[in-house]
Amino acid sequence: MSQLDRRQALKLFAGLGAAAAVPSLAACGGSSLSEDSGSGSSGGPIKIGMLAPQSGVYKVIGDDMINGFKLYLQLHGNKLGGREVDLIIADEGETGDSGRAGAEKLLKQDKVLAMTGVVSSAVMGAIVDMVETAQVPLVGSNASPTTLQGVTYIWRTSYVNDEPGKALGEYLGRTLKGTVYCIAADYQAGKDEVNGLLSTLPKDKLYGDPVYTPFAPNPTTNFQPYLTAIKQSDAEAVFCFYAGSSAVEFVKQYKQFGVNKRLYAPGFLTEGKVIESQGDAALGIFTSMNYAADLDNPANRTFASEYQKQPGWGIPTTYAMASYDAAAVLDKAITIAGDDLTPQSLNAAIGKIGQIDSPRGAWQFNQNRTPLQKWYLREVRRDGGVLSNVLVSELTTLG
Amino acid sequence: MRDGMKGGMKVLGPAAVVVALVAAPFIATSYVISLATGVLVLGLLTMSVNLLTGVAGLPTLGQAAYFGVGAYATALVARSWTQVGVVHLLVATAAGAAVAALTGLVVVRTRGVVFLMLTLAIGELTYSAVLEWDTVTGGSDGRATPAVSPVWGMPALRNDGLVYLWVLAVFLLLFALVAAVVRSPFGLALRGIRDNEARMRADGYPVTRYLLVAYTFAGGLAGAAGALWISSERFVSPSDIGFHVSAMALIAVVLGGLGSMWGAVAGMGLVVLTRDLVGGQFTGDLAGRGVLLLGLVFVAAVYLMPRGLAGLRLLTRRRQALAAPGSEES
Amino acid sequence: MVGWFDAYAVSIVDGIAFGLLYFTLAVGLSLVFGMMDVLNLAHGTLYLAGAYLAYALSDGGWGGLVLGLAAGIAVGLGGGALLAAMTQPLAHRGHLDQALLTLGLSIVGAEVFLLASGGEPLPAEPPAGLRGSVEVLGHVYPAYRLLFIGVAGVLALAVYLAFERSSLGALVRATVADRDMVRTLGVDTRRVLFGVFAVGAVLAVVGGVLGAPILGPAPGIDGHVLVMSLVVVVIGGLGSVRGALLGALLVGQVDTLGRAIAPDYAAFLLFGAMFVVLAVRPGGLISMVKSA
Repeated sequence: MSQLDRRQALKLFAGLGAAAAVPSLAACGGSSLSEDSGSGSSGGPIKIGMLAPQSGVYKVIGDDMINGFKLYLQLHGNKLGGREVDLIIADEGETGDSGRAGAEKLLKQDKVLAMTGVVSSAVMGAIVDMVETAQVPLVGSNASPTTLQGVTYIWRTSYVNDEPGKALGEYLGRTLKGTVYCIAADYQAGKDEVNGLLSTLPKDKLYGDPVYTPFAPNPTTNFQPYLTAIKQSDAEAVFCFYAGSSAVEFVKQYKQFGVNKRLYAPGFLTEGKVIESQGDAALGIFTSMNYAADLDNPANRTFASEYQKQPGWGIPTTYAMASYDAAAVLDKAITIAGDDLTPQSLNAAIGKIGQIDSPRGAWQFNQNRTPLQKWYLREVRRDGGVLSNVLVSELTTLG
Repeated sequence: MRDGMKGGMKVLGPAAVVVALVAAPFIATSYVISLATGVLVLGLLTMSVNLLTGVAGLPTLGQAAYFGVGAYATALVARSWTQVGVVHLLVATAAGAAVAALTGLVVVRTRGVVFLMLTLAIGELTYSAVLEWDTVTGGSDGRATPAVSPVWGMPALRNDGLVYLWVLAVFLLLFALVAAVVRSPFGLALRGIRDNEARMRADGYPVTRYLLVAYTFAGGLAGAAGALWISSERFVSPSDIGFHVSAMALIAVVLGGLGSMWGAVAGMGLVVLTRDLVGGQFTGDLAGRGVLLLGLVFVAAVYLMPRGLAGLRLLTRRRQALAAPGSEES
Repeated sequence: MVGWFDAYAVSIVDGIAFGLLYFTLAVGLSLVFGMMDVLNLAHGTLYLAGAYLAYALSDGGWGGLVLGLAAGIAVGLGGGALLAAMTQPLAHRGHLDQALLTLGLSIVGAEVFLLASGGEPLPAEPPAGLRGSVEVLGHVYPAYRLLFIGVAGVLALAVYLAFERSSLGALVRATVADRDMVRTLGVDTRRVLFGVFAVGAVLAVVGGVLGAPILGPAPGIDGHVLVMSLVVVVIGGLGSVRGALLGALLVGQVDTLGRAIAPDYAAFLLFGAMFVVLAVRPGGLISMVKSA
């Protein structure tokens, strides 16, 4: 390229870049030094911000979240609380920083009435301060660090990170004669799940110490060294926590290396599309979750059937269900808030919604703004030729 | 007369930029100012990479480690001792420099791709250590910190515009410091080592010692950036100090033009502008494709900006004689 | 002693499997880097492309595998040629510009994969006959990994012999050691470079096709493979096939046997080992490039 062509091309790019950036630079609504005001518009469409991963390793969960929320909107004429909804999706990415950038855009540029979504606990931690300062309610539908307490504007329709493990502990203590081998991915979620298990599992039922497999910077993809150790132990069963591609590799290799012990886990191990990649290796795995797609209640009959009608969505997961419930929460709260609709009044209204008739069964927010809900035991079976997590029994109520 | 005007232009340009930077929070929105704050903080990190890669000729993928040391040291101080920003800066700079000096002892004896991989190892090992030591660092969930007051007596800063001005003040100070170092005989010696190490050794320069000093200085600078990260984000997690942060900083140096300090900051500005500001506007089905745009920008930049942003001569008509790689502007 | 081996036998064998996988991936990178001085950060993307081909073309039988291999060779040749062509204008501009370009390409590649896969890890099963496990001396081991050791071992031997014993290999080794000298002999080194780039890319893509059942196509795998390849290349020594083999086998053992022996330090083993090797022997285990 000659000097001149290059310059012309550069000028073109610079122009395009400036043109793209100008709308966002214009100081509509006050400069950064003035205090931000909420979005309380009256009568017009309301803006709801969805912060969900659309890039990186959590994209699958982000898609489920968006689908669940959109399904609720679809079934309710695109309205929440009688008001038309403008759903703005911002990419959470996979790091605390990218999540923060997305939240900043929703809060400071789009000035949304409320936020929802958030998959990663690190992102949640990064935006707590921002959300509480902005005084905009965040109805989170997945991320839930155990340390997130004492907040006013952050609600979670999912669970707390140690509850899936807690739900299994008492059950395992009751049904097993021998010990449980504990292995999990080495990040906070894994540690929370294991701590949850240990809080309800009798002390003498734990085999040795919990083992953590490296998760970052490079997630463990070859579990053979650990599986060999598990085989050589005399534990009766195995409790593990893995999600995403780690879940696929762990389950496949569990079968490949001939580990004959029964496997128990928080439901993320087999939730969603990972079960298709795992194939028959997943059969016979028992998981705990706050949801099963074959639960028999009116709300789930509607939710599950409508969800499966959508092309390419598959069987509903707990991520989609929690996001669907987040929409339901906002629907009820906006109705309660009535005409005086600001982020602050909306947040107060969320505290008054009472019970939610959810596909998971009925639940309500507790003091900590997380659900008081039932937990279920599921087993991976072929249900009409399709691999799925089939409901076995109720475990306990937590929250 | 013409020389005087040229000299005047040289001062007017940077002065205009500083004025614009200071005036920005009065004009631009909160969102833009938040992004700009991020550019300044990461810009300091990028400058530390540039000092090693562009000036001294040592390509590094590990500066996020010292950035992380500074940020986590600040987080500890902020949570248990004091919220004064100046103290944070001192602690973080000292911590970053100390760890850099220690690791530098091994690393500065190597060059080229071996140096690159060793710094990569340092970055990854630091990341793993932060993750493991979760009782102190909070592990993968990260650590939230209270708001920072720049000096004793000032209120804790939460307003985006005020935080930006504090970060800007420190940035300008450190930029001036780094510019001075780069123009000093020490900086010239570093460039000499980059261009012809054998010759410098033959001339009697203690090359390894000079590089160790540069490495320590860069580590301290990265640590200071870590303290400012806490001032602006009030949160740090391992993913904020991971490999991709080091990689982006190195890329930003190349985008900006090796050796140029303002180029380094501009390069990081380009990355943030593309990925967050423009990419953030993508919504609906395009949401999250900011990264794709960034990749395309990288490919385009290689062919369209062979000397980086600092090598662009769009504003002047003069075709200067091809200087050595990394024109010595600061 | 026998007891120790018995307890860790599976890990040692597994380490060989992964070592050979890493060798297949790293040898191309080592030659291209050592010879062309080109830092190709899109290397992991080539593996991901191969793994994706294995998923897309597999039909549960041997036909799918053969088709995957053929497609892999074609994609590797095309990808290698494309990369060589795009990095040609940057020949005199140094590693960092190449890094910028190839990183940009790898980002684009990763995004294409993300859109094609929806972000899920994709199932890549070997042909039906190889899906089970075999029992040898009381230890259970996946059949496919065992076969992979055989195939990759043969491939490694072929590459090694071609490089060390053939006249073409001698030409390549000479170009690595001193490119200018080879040019004075009248050889068009650019053709040699293109050839090596293409072969390296083919090995990476074919490595992906064969390795998919062991290290399947998923978001982030391209970065993982790139880092492992760089570690192997640097430990082994730039531009040396023997070095790449040694480095790969060492890395394979550290990653499997090492983790079995010292699970508490698992996160630090790989980079710790690299750090130690480079601190003691900065040129890598077998240094071949003439230091300029």
